[in-house]
Amino acid sequence: MEIRLKNLTKVFPGNPKKGIKDTIAVNNLDITIPDGKLIGLLGPSGCGKSTTLYLIAGLQVPTSGEIWFGDEEVTRLSPDKRGIGLVFQNYALYPHMTIYKNVAFPLTNLRVEENRVYKVDVPAKIDSQGNVVAPAHKAGDIVLDVDGNPLKIKRKLKPEEIDSIVRKTAKLVQIEDYLLRKPNQLSGGQQQRVAIARALAKSPRVLLLDEPLSNLDARLRLQTREEIRRLQQRTGVTTIFVTHDQEEAMSISDEIVVMKLGVEQQRAHPQEIYNNPINKFVANFLGTPPINFFNGNVKENKLYINEECVLDLGEKKLADQEVTVGIRPEGFEVDPKGAMHVECQNIETLGRDISIVAKHPCCERPMVKIIIDADTKVQAGIVTLRLKPHKVFLFNTKTEERIW
Amino acid sequence: MQKKNDWRAWLYLAPVIILLAVFIFYPLISTIAIAFTKDYNYTAQSGSGFTFDNFATIFETTYVDDGSGNLTAVYSDVVKYAIPNTLIIVFVTVPVSIILALLISVGLNSIKFLKKIFQTIFFMPYVTNAIAVGMVFSVIFMGGSNGDGLWNTIFQTTGYTWVDQGAPASRAMLALCVYSVWHALPFKILIFLSGLQNIDKQYYDAAMIDSAGKMKIFSSITVPLLSPQILYIMITSFIGSFKEYTSVVGLFGRAGTLSGYNNMYTIVYYIYDTISLRQVQYGCAAAVMLFVVILIFTAIQFAVSSKRVYY
Repeated sequence: MEIRLKNLTKVFPGNPKKGIKDTIAVNNLDITIPDGKLIGLLGPSGCGKSTTLYLIAGLQVPTSGEIWFGDEEVTRLSPDKRGIGLVFQNYALYPHMTIYKNVAFPLTNLRVEENRVYKVDVPAKIDSQGNVVAPAHKAGDIVLDVDGNPLKIKRKLKPEEIDSIVRKTAKLVQIEDYLLRKPNQLSGGQQQRVAIARALAKSPRVLLLDEPLSNLDARLRLQTREEIRRLQQRTGVTTIFVTHDQEEAMSISDEIVVMKLGVEQQRAHPQEIYNNPINKFVANFLGTPPINFFNGNVKENKLYINEECVLDLGEKKLADQEVTVGIRPEGFEVDPKGAMHVECQNIETLGRDISIVAKHPCCERPMVKIIIDADTKVQAGIVTLRLKPHKVFLFNTKTEERIW
Repeated sequence: MQKKNDWRAWLYLAPVIILLAVFIFYPLISTIAIAFTKDYNYTAQSGSGFTFDNFATIFETTYVDDGSGNLTAVYSDVVKYAIPNTLIIVFVTVPVSIILALLISVGLNSIKFLKKIFQTIFFMPYVTNAIAVGMVFSVIFMGGSNGDGLWNTIFQTTGYTWVDQGAPASRAMLALCVYSVWHALPFKILIFLSGLQNIDKQYYDAAMIDSAGKMKIFSSITVPLLSPQILYIMITSFIGSFKEYTSVVGLFGRAGTLSGYNNMYTIVYYIYDTISLRQVQYGCAAAVMLFVVILIFTAIQFAVSSKRVYY
C-alpha cells in the first residue's frame, strides 16, 4: 500500500491569552511512501515525526492536507477503519490480558468480507409458462446480485480462525512460549515482540512503529532491529518507523526521511543521505562520530581553512565567499604533504580504526574528531592531514544549504 | 531501629493506642463478652455465666394462641424486619449505586465542557449531612394528608404515601433505596473518577487502533483496569450498607411508618434501640452476628474477585 501525504500540516493551537503561541508540529509535509518498503522517519525530539505517525494512524486529525492509502483518501477516516497496525513507544499492551488475548484482541473486532453462499440446495424457479426464471443452486454456490457480481457479507472471525492467526503470528515473532503469561511477566524485548505481533495479527495495510527500540538495552536493540527488518521483509507490509537514532534508521530502512521542526529536509536511501546531505542539519544529524564543521573561505575556486589551502574545488566552480565546511571524520588522511594542520590531543585505539581527538582554531566544536586506518602511525602534537574530496561538503553560512 | 529509641516510638504511638484502646478495643471485647453473658444487668454491668440465650432471644419466634387452639407464629423484630430490610438495602442499593456511579464517572471523564462544575455538583451530596438530606427527601416523598411532594407530582401518583404515617413498607423501602443510592453515589464517583484518570490514555488509543467499539472498550479496557477501585468500592459499600441506620432516621425519623411498628428496622437500628431499652445483651448479640456475617461476606468477595481484579 503506497502512502501519500499531501501538504500535511498539524497545528496545536496555543492560548493567546496566556501568551502561548501555536505549535506547528508538522508543516506542509509532502511524502510518498512506496509500497512494501521500510521507511524511517528520523529527526531530533520535537521535530514532528511522532505527530506525523499519529496523523497517519488517525489518532490525530490534521489541520490541513490529505493522507492517501493507495487510491483511498483516509484523512477523515477514524483509526479503526484505516487498517493500520501501530506499535507504541511503550508498547501499550493491555496489562490485564494474557499475551494470547492481547494478540487476539484486534482480531475479535475484525470483520472479514466474504462471498455470500447458498446454505442449502435451491431448486430452479420456473414461471407459469415453463421458463426458468432463476436457475437451481447447490449449497455452497456463490450468491450473485442482479448484475452478476458476487454478494458480499461481513462477518466476525470464528474462534478457531482467531486461534490459528494468533498462533501463526506468535510463531513469526517467536513468542509462542509466553502466550499464557501477562505482559508484566515478560522482558522489554519480549513485550516489544508481543506489541509487534498484536499490530501484525490483523494483517494491516500499514505498520507504524513509534520509537520501537528506545526502551530496549543496547544488545536487544541490535537484535530487535534486525528482527523488525526480517518481519517487514517476510510480510511485505509497508512500514513506517519513527526514531531519533540515526544509526537505527540507517541500518534497517529502505529509505529515510529526515525531519526538522515539522519540515521534511531530505528523503533518500540511507547511504545517499549520508554521502550527499542536502544541508548542514542533515549532515550534522547523520553519522557517528558526528561530522566536523569548520569556518572556511573560498578564494579563486580553492578552499581555505585557517589561511591554509586545503582543497581545490575542481570542476564545480564556486564564487569567492565565506563557507561552512563539513568534513566527515573518515574524510581525513594523514599525509606529510597535506595542507591541513591539527593539534592532536588524544589518540583512541578502537582496534579496527584509530580515533584522533584534535584541536583546530577554525572548528565550530571544541574538538575535531578524526577516524583513520589502524595501520597509520600517529603521534601526539601537530598532525598534517590531507582531505578526501568526496567527504567534504560546503554549506552557505547563512542559509546552511549545501553549495558544494 | 536502634533499641534505645524504642520508648520514644511507643511515646509517639501512645495517643493513638490509648484512643483505640478506649474507644475500639475495649468496647469490641466487651461487646463480644456481653453477647455471651447470661442475665446481663445493664446497671450493675454484671451477669451470671456463659450462654447462647441472647442469640436465641433475638431470633425467637413465639406462638400465640388465638383462643380457638390455633397457634399463630409471632416473629421477633429482628427476623421480621431488621434482617430482610438490611438485606434489601445491601443487595439493591449497592449494585445499583455502583453501576450508576460507574456510568456517571465514565461520562464525566469523557466530557470536556463544564467538567469541573459537573464534578462538583455530583460530589455535593457527599459533604451534605445525612440527616439533612433525609429531611429533604422526606419532603420530596411527601404524600397523603400533608399534600403531595415532588415525587408524587412528577410520577403522577397523587395521594400515595411513601414515608409518612401509614405508608406501606414496600413503598417506604423504595423511597429508602432511592435515597440511599443518591447519597452513596458521590463517594463512588470520586473514587472511580480518580481511577479513570489514572488509566493510561494509550490503552484507549491502542484499542481504537484495534477497532474496538465503545461498548467493547468499556467492557474490555475500562472496567478491568478500574477493577481495583471497583473491588474497593464494593467491599466498603457492602459493609457500609450492612450497617445502614442514619438513612432510616433521616428519612422516617423513627423505626417505622406506622405507630408502634418497627417495619423500617435495620440491624443497626435494632442495636441502637436495645441500648435505649437497657437490653444491651441483645444488641451485643446482634452486633456479633452482624460482624460474623460481614466477615464471611467480605471473605467471599475477596475470594471471588482475586482472579478478576487486575492490580
